[in-house]
Amino acid sequence: MNYNPTYALLIFFGLVLISYLLFRPKSGWFWVIKNNLKSNEKIVIEDVLKQLYHTENAGKDMNLHQLSNSLKFDERTIVDVIKKMTIIELLTFDGENLKLTDSGRDYALRIVRVHRLWEKYLAEKTGFDKMEWHDRAEDMEHKLSHEETDLLATHLGNPQYDPHGDPIPTKLGKVADLEGEFLSSLKVGSVGRIVHIEDEPDVIYKQILAEKIHIGSQIRVIENNKERVVFYAEGQEFVLAPIVAANITITLLEKEESLEENMARLSSLKDNEEASIIGISKESRGDSRRRLLDLGFVRGAKISIDLESPFGNPIAYLIKGTSIALRHDQASKILIKKGIENGK
Amino acid sequence: MNKDEIENLITLSSDLRWKIGDDFHDSLAEGIYADASEISNASVSKDNEKKKFRLDAKIDRIVTSKTWGFPIMFLVLALILWITIIGANYPSAMLADVLLDIVHPFLKGLAAGIGMPWWLDGFLIDGVYLAVAWVIAVMLPPMAIFFPLFTLLEDFGYLPRVAFNMDYLFKKSGAHGKQALTMSMGFGCNAAGVVATRIIDSPRERLIAIITNNFSLCNGRWPTQILIATIFIGAVVPSSLSTVASMSAVIGIAILGIFFMFLTSWALTKTVLKGEVSTFNLELPPYRPPRVLKTIYTSLIDRTLIVLWRAIVFAAPAGAVIWLISNIYIGNESIAAWTIDSLDSFGFLLGLNGVILLAYIVAIPANEIVIPTILMLTVLVTGVTGGEGAGVMFELDSVNATGDLLRSGGWTLLTAVNLMLFSLLHNPCSTTIYTIYKETNSLKWTTVATLLPVIMGFVVTFLVAQIWRLF
Repeated sequence: MNYNPTYALLIFFGLVLISYLLFRPKSGWFWVIKNNLKSNEKIVIEDVLKQLYHTENAGKDMNLHQLSNSLKFDERTIVDVIKKMTIIELLTFDGENLKLTDSGRDYALRIVRVHRLWEKYLAEKTGFDKMEWHDRAEDMEHKLSHEETDLLATHLGNPQYDPHGDPIPTKLGKVADLEGEFLSSLKVGSVGRIVHIEDEPDVIYKQILAEKIHIGSQIRVIENNKERVVFYAEGQEFVLAPIVAANITITLLEKEESLEENMARLSSLKDNEEASIIGISKESRGDSRRRLLDLGFVRGAKISIDLESPFGNPIAYLIKGTSIALRHDQASKILIKKGIENGK
Repeated sequence: MNKDEIENLITLSSDLRWKIGDDFHDSLAEGIYADASEISNASVSKDNEKKKFRLDAKIDRIVTSKTWGFPIMFLVLALILWITIIGANYPSAMLADVLLDIVHPFLKGLAAGIGMPWWLDGFLIDGVYLAVAWVIAVMLPPMAIFFPLFTLLEDFGYLPRVAFNMDYLFKKSGAHGKQALTMSMGFGCNAAGVVATRIIDSPRERLIAIITNNFSLCNGRWPTQILIATIFIGAVVPSSLSTVASMSAVIGIAILGIFFMFLTSWALTKTVLKGEVSTFNLELPPYRPPRVLKTIYTSLIDRTLIVLWRAIVFAAPAGAVIWLISNIYIGNESIAAWTIDSLDSFGFLLGLNGVILLAYIVAIPANEIVIPTILMLTVLVTGVTGGEGAGVMFELDSVNATGDLLRSGGWTLLTAVNLMLFSLLHNPCSTTIYTIYKETNSLKWTTVATLLPVIMGFVVTFLVAQIWRLF
C-alpha cells in the first residue's frame, strides 16, 4: 500500500490535539460551552443571595458595584436579576446598599445548606480531593431540590458542621454557633482549638493545605507579629503569614483543658518509642476513619512501630497485638501521647 | 401511638442526633473496645506468644529489609513463573497429544463411520471440540501449577509483606500495595487476578486493580510471545545470541506491561476514578506453616476449575464461529476471507494485517487459540499448502515451519513486534470480561476495562508502525 507515514502521524497528532483542546479538564472547549449554556437566571439569583448573605453575616454592607465585582457574571445580567429580585421581594435597597429581605434570607440559607451538606457528602462518602470540594459544591447547590436536600441530610446523619468547620443550617434554618477568633488576632501564649478553615480564596486555602494544618488540632501561639504567626500544634511548629492565619478560626480553651501538651502525630513516632493513642484527627473522615476505629485505633490503645517498609512508607504499627501498616498521611492524622520509653 | 406522637418522636430524635454532634461514632468504637479488652483481660490467659512472635519478627526484618526485601521478592516471583512455564510444557504436550492427535482423529473417524454430514461434523468436531480441547490443553497445566504455588505463599503469610514492600511504588500511581499481588496473579490468569482483587477493600484502588489487571501478561499469552520472539526476534541476531535476544524481548514486553499498568493506574486516579472512596490499611498477619494438601485442593477447585469452566463455556461457541466463518461462503469467498480483506488496510496502518485482527476478534474467548487461528486463516487466504483445512485450527510441530508459513503470509519483523505489543495491549479475554462484570457489577467499568487496553493497543502499534516506516 502506498501512503506516507509522516501524514499518518500528522493526522494522528492533529486528532489528539483537538480532543485535548475539547476535553482537557476545566478549560476544555466542550466544558466551557456546556457551562455557558447552563448559566441561567436561577444561578445568578442564587449566587447574588449567597454573596449578600455572607456579607451581612460578616457585618458589612454591599452596594451594587461591589456585588457585581465579586461575582463572575457581567454587570448587565446582574442588574437585570437585581431588578427582578426586588420585585419578587428577595432583597431591598437601603440607600445604595443591598439588603436581604426575610424571604431572601431564607432562600440564601437553603443554598448555603445545600452547599455545605454537599461538601460534607464529598468529604465523607467520596474520594474527591479537598481542593475540589468547593467547586463541586458550587455546582451542586443550584441543582438539588428540597426533597433531595433533606434526603441527603438524613443520609449523612444531619451533620452540624461541614468539613471546613462551617455550621450547616438545618431544614428549619437553625444554624449552630461558630465561636472563635481569627488566628491572626490571638495573643502570644493563648491556647485553643482550630474550628474553622476558610476555603476561599483558593490561593490561601492551598497554602493552608500544603502546611498540613488539620481542623480540630489544639494549638498554642508562640509568636504573633506583622510578619508572621508561629504556633505549636501536635508536636510541630507551624509558621504562617498573618494574611493566611486570618483564614483560620480558633476557639480559645481554658488553660486547665489544655492538658495534652505532649500530644504528637503518630507519624513522628520513633522506632523504639511506645505511645498511647489520644484520638483520630477530624481530618480523617468517612470510611477511612471508621476503618481505623474498627482496627482498634481508639483512645488509650498502646502503639509502637513493628516494621518499616524498604521505602520508609508505609510503616507497620503494633496495636492490640496485631501488626497494621498505615501510610504516612494516615499516621499524621492519628494523635498520640508519647511517654513510655520501650528500651528494646 | 398516634401519628402526632410518632412525628414528635422522630423530630426529637433527629434533634438529639444533631446536638450529639459528629463524635459519637468515635465514642461508640472506644466503648466497644474498652468492654472487649475488659472481657479478654478477665478471661484470656497468654503464654508462649512472646516466643513465637520473636521468630516472626526475625523473618519480617529480613523480607522487608532495604537490602533483601526486593531481591527475595523478584526471585520468588521469577521462580514461580519459571516453574509454571517450564513445568507446564510436559503435561500440556501430553494433553495436546491425547486430545488433538488421538481423540480428534478418532472422533472424525467415528463421525465418518455413522455417516454424519460434513457440515455437522466440521461444526461440532473441527469447530467446537477443537477449540475446547485446545483451551484445556494449553490452559489447564499452567493454572494447575501456578495457582497452588501462589496460594501456598499466600497461606504462609508472605504475600502481605510483598504488598507492604511495594506499597510506596503503587501509592505513587494512586494504587494499593496489594495490587502487586493481583498483578502477579494476573501473570497466571487475568480472570483469577480480577477475582483476587477482593483482597483490596478500598473501592477506588480495587477498581484500578481490576481495570489494569489485563496489563499482566497471562498464561495464554506467554506462549504466543515466546513463539513469535523465537521466530522473528531470534532471527535478527547471531544464532548464538538468539535465545537470549528472544527471551529478553519477551521479558521486555512483560515489563512494558507493568509500565502500562502503573501509567494507567495513575491516569485513572487523576480522571474517572477520582471520586471513588479511597482508604488504606494492610494487616501483616503472623506467619504460619502452609497447609499443603488443603491449599492444593482449594486452589484447584476454587481457582483452576472455575476459571477453566468459564473458559470452556466461552471457547465452545468461539470454535463454532471460527469454523463457520471459514466455511460459509458469500459469493465465491468465505466470510473469513471477506472480513480479512476489509480489515487488511486498517491492519496495515497498525503494522499488523487482517488475519491477525480477525484472529483477535474471533479468539476473544481465549488468548490460547490466537496462534492456531492465525495459522489456519493464513493458510486459508494465502492458499499455501499445509494446514488441516478450512476452519480447522492447527499448530506446527516445528518452529521453523511456523516461521515459514507466517512469512509466506507477508509477515515482517515489524508485524512480529507489533503482534507482541498487541498481544499485550488488547481487550481482556471474554472469561475475564465476564469476571470483571461479576466483580464490579457495573456495565460502565466493564466497558472501560474492555475498551481501554484495546484503544491503547491501537495507538501504540500505530505509532510504532509509522515510526518504523519513517526510518
